[in-house]
Amino acid sequence: MNALTIEGSQSTPSIFADWDLGRLIMQGDSYPENSFEFFGPVIDWIERYLSESAAPFDLELRLVYMNTSSVKAMMDIFDLLEDAHGRGRQVSVNWYYDPRNERVLDLADEFREDCSFPFEIAADEQ
Amino acid sequence: MESIDLFGLREHFNRSRILLCFNGPISRSLIEEIGNALKNYLQADSVLPSAAMDVFSAYVEMTQNIRHYALSRGYDELDSSATIVVARDAEGRYVVQAGNLVEVRDGEALLQRLDELAKMDKAQLKAAYKTQLRQPRDEDAASGAGLGLIDVARKSAQPLAASLVGCSETRSFFTLRAVI
Repeated sequence: MNALTIEGSQSTPSIFADWDLGRLIMQGDSYPENSFEFFGPVIDWIERYLSESAAPFDLELRLVYMNTSSVKAMMDIFDLLEDAHGRGRQVSVNWYYDPRNERVLDLADEFREDCSFPFEIAADEQ
Repeated sequence: MESIDLFGLREHFNRSRILLCFNGPISRSLIEEIGNALKNYLQADSVLPSAAMDVFSAYVEMTQNIRHYALSRGYDELDSSATIVVARDAEGRYVVQAGNLVEVRDGEALLQRLDELAKMDKAQLKAAYKTQLRQPRDEDAASGAGLGLIDVARKSAQPLAASLVGCSETRSFFTLRAVI
């Protein structure tokens, strides 16, 4: 009930949410034709977690390419986190990127400009 | 029926430095498959990952825009056809071009919008992008709501070039060109 697992595909990221740990991970490319539909369950899960649990929430991102409709959906997610942060909730984003591709850093950085909660961007040396 | 001159076609492709082209009805899975071929090509060509992503991104935004548009207008398979060409110019830059049928009025509105975008510098384009990102989503729009064009404009090394060719009283063929 509280678990959310979406297997990745060529155009959609893999998603794994762990309620007990208060963590949601997204990894891969994201360019579905209908991003609103794809990210719906993710947005619902985060909304439910933030309303039903009082524990901290961490969003771990290892996203690479995102089309603009995915960017828009991600903005909705960050807005949820921003609201929660405004209500005193402990929320954070950790975005790991491949240091060979600085475009991902630009993308993450542009999101961070509009967020006031802890938002770390780190090169993933793995 | 006159046979198609494949050799001539090949010569034309080579002369125009065309790496990839497609003409016909485009589906979600075809966008992915052609995109995959493009990615592999760019990788084999040792293009920097960030530049390869810009080319891929222009391709995805343009083709998905065509899909969304054709769906929103209820076009049949033939009218939903996309013409897509990825080529290199004399300076070795990548040129991504996509064309599709549009209603004459929509085509004119698009040209006007592109004209506005062409006058913006990178900072203005970024501001326009952020404003568009904050626009409420249309109830029936599944797409990024107009973000795509601005995104491609931000990645293009020169202002996006667009043209319209009249096809009938109600339809035009719209072409968009980005240089990465």
